[in-house]
Amino acid sequence: MRIFTFLGGVYFFLYFVLPESAVTAIGMKAHHEQISNGFIVIGAMAVGLGIFNIVRAHGSRVVFQRPGWFNSFALLVGLAAIISATAVQWIESTRNSRDISSVQVLGEFATRITDDARTPPTDRVVPPLAQRIAALVRYGDERTELIESHTNLSVEAGTNGATSVLVGEVRERLAAARVKLGELRAASWERLTEDNATLLTQFSQDAAKLASSYSIIKRSHDAHSTSQKVYDFLFDGLFNQLGSAMFALLGVYIAAAAYRAFRVRTVESGLMMMAAVIVMLGQISFGKEIYENMPSLRQWLLEVPNSAAFRAIRLGAGVAGLMLAIRMWLSIESKSFSSGRK
Amino acid sequence: MSGLEHITPGVLVILLIAGLLLYRELKRVGGGYQHFIRRIPGVDAVEGAVGRCAELGRPVVFTTALTEIGPVLYACLGVLHAVARKVAQYKLKLIVPQYSPEAMALVEDTVREAYRDVGRGSSFDPDGIKFLSSEQFAFASGYMGLIHRENAGAAFMFGAFAAEALVLAEAGQQVGAQQVAASVSPEQIAFFICTCDYTLIGEELFGASAYLSREPVQVATLAAQDRLKLLFVGLIVVGVVLATLQAWYPGLTTWMPDKLLSAGWGALTW
Repeated sequence: MRIFTFLGGVYFFLYFVLPESAVTAIGMKAHHEQISNGFIVIGAMAVGLGIFNIVRAHGSRVVFQRPGWFNSFALLVGLAAIISATAVQWIESTRNSRDISSVQVLGEFATRITDDARTPPTDRVVPPLAQRIAALVRYGDERTELIESHTNLSVEAGTNGATSVLVGEVRERLAAARVKLGELRAASWERLTEDNATLLTQFSQDAAKLASSYSIIKRSHDAHSTSQKVYDFLFDGLFNQLGSAMFALLGVYIAAAAYRAFRVRTVESGLMMMAAVIVMLGQISFGKEIYENMPSLRQWLLEVPNSAAFRAIRLGAGVAGLMLAIRMWLSIESKSFSSGRK
Repeated sequence: MSGLEHITPGVLVILLIAGLLLYRELKRVGGGYQHFIRRIPGVDAVEGAVGRCAELGRPVVFTTALTEIGPVLYACLGVLHAVARKVAQYKLKLIVPQYSPEAMALVEDTVREAYRDVGRGSSFDPDGIKFLSSEQFAFASGYMGLIHRENAGAAFMFGAFAAEALVLAEAGQQVGAQQVAASVSPEQIAFFICTCDYTLIGEELFGASAYLSREPVQVATLAAQDRLKLLFVGLIVVGVVLATLQAWYPGLTTWMPDKLLSAGWGALTW
C-alpha cells in the first residue's frame, strides 16, 4: 500500500516539478488527463462499496429489528427511491436524446449524399446514388412516422399555449419534409443533376428545421413526464428543501452565538463587540447617518486587520500542510497511529 | 502564484529547503534533542473534557467534519488517536460521525489502534464510527440528532469546516457539552470562538497532535514547519522593504520575492 502511495506521489510530484517542455517531451502531458481520470475511476469504485455497506449494515438492523431499525428502514426506502427515480429518468433522457439525434441524422445524411456525389471519397466505398436515396427516403419515412406519433402523444397529454404553437410548427415542418420525401422518391437518381442537388439541399434544410422543433417539443414533453416529476419532487422538492431548512437554522444560531460572545466581560470581547458594531452599522444606510465615514471604517476593518489575520492563519496552515504532505509522501509515519504494524 | 501547474525554480528551492529542514529536525530529534512546545490551552483541555465525560458518564464525540484525505486529516487523526486512548482508558463511549467514506476507513483504523495501544482492543466498538452523509447539511442534521440523542459530554471538532460549523457547535452547546474546535478555515474560526470553550486557530491544529503525543516524528515536523514559516516571514519582510525602496529604485522590482518565486524556467540564463 505504501508503495502505491509513494508511486502516486512520485508521478504527481514529477508532473509538477518538471518544466512544461520536459513534461511534453517525455509524453507525460499527453497522458496526464487519462491518468488523472484513472484516479477518479478508482475513487468512483468506493460508491459501489458504499452502497453495499449501507445495505449490509442497515439491512441487518431491519431484519433483526435492532434498536433504531425504523430509521434504517427509512434510509433504505430513501436509497431505493432515489436510485430508482434517477435510473428511470436517466434511461428516459438517454432514449429521448437518441430519438432527437436520429432525426438530426436525416439532414446530415442528405448533405453527405450530395458531397459524396460531387466529390467521390477515396478512403471508403460509397453505394450507388439511387441506393443511397432509397435508404434516405425509407429512413425519412420511419422518422416522420415516429415524430408524428410522439407529437400526437404530446397533444393527448394536454397542451398549453406555448406547446400548441410548437405542435403546430412541428406538424407544418413534418408536412414540408414529407412533400420533399415524395419529390425525392419521384425523381430520377441515375446521376446528381443540379435540380436533384437543389432538392437534396432543400430536404436537408427542412429536416434540420424539423429536428430543431422536434427536440424542443420532445424536451418540453419530457419535462412534464411522470419520471421527471418524481425526480424533481425527490431532489428539488424534498432533498434540497431539507438542506435549505438546515441552512436557515444558521440565522437563529448566529443570533444566539453572538449574544453569548458579545457579552462584554473582558477587553478582548469588548474589542470584538466594537468591531462587530462598526461592521454592522457600516453595512446599513443608517450607519452613514450616525457617522459619515462608517462604511469606509467598515471597509478598512474588513480589508486591513481582518485580511491580515486571515493571511496569517492561511500562511501558518499552508506551511504546516506542506510539511505534513512531505512527511505523508515519504511515509515517515508516526508510531502513534500505526504502532500495531511496526 | 495560484493555479501553478508546473513548478518554478523558486518554488523548487522552497520545496528542497522544506525537505532539508524536515530531514535535519528528524535527525536532531532522533538524536535525543528535546524541543520546547509552548502550552496550548485548547489542547490541554482535551484531557479535561474526556475526564469530565468520565465523571458524568456521557459519551465523547469527535468529528473531522468535511475533511477529505490529506494533510489536515492526518493532523486530525493524531488528535483523534490521543482522544481515543483516553476514552479507552476511562472506558467511555466514543462516537466519530463521518462525512467522507474514504476518510472513514482511516478514522476507524486510528481509533482501533488507539484502543489496542492501551490494551483495550476488545472494547473497540466499530459502530461508534458512524457514516452520516456526504451532503453538507444532511451531515449537519445527522450530527445534531446524534449529539442530542447521545447527550454528549464533550465534542471535539477538528478539521475543515464550512457553513455547517455553527450548526454543529450550537448542537453541542445546547446539550452542555464541553467543546474544543480546531479549524484551518479562517471564516469559521469566529463561529467557533463564539460557541466553543476552546478554539485552536489554523496551524495550532497541526501542532496539537505533536503536543499531545510528544512523538519524535510529529515534534520534528512541528519544528521544521516553524523554521520554514520563519523563512516565509523573512521573505515577507524583504518584500516589504523592497516594495518601499522601489519608489526610489524602480529596478528593485525584479528582485521582489513574489517575482522570483513565480519566474519560470525560461528566466534562467547562465
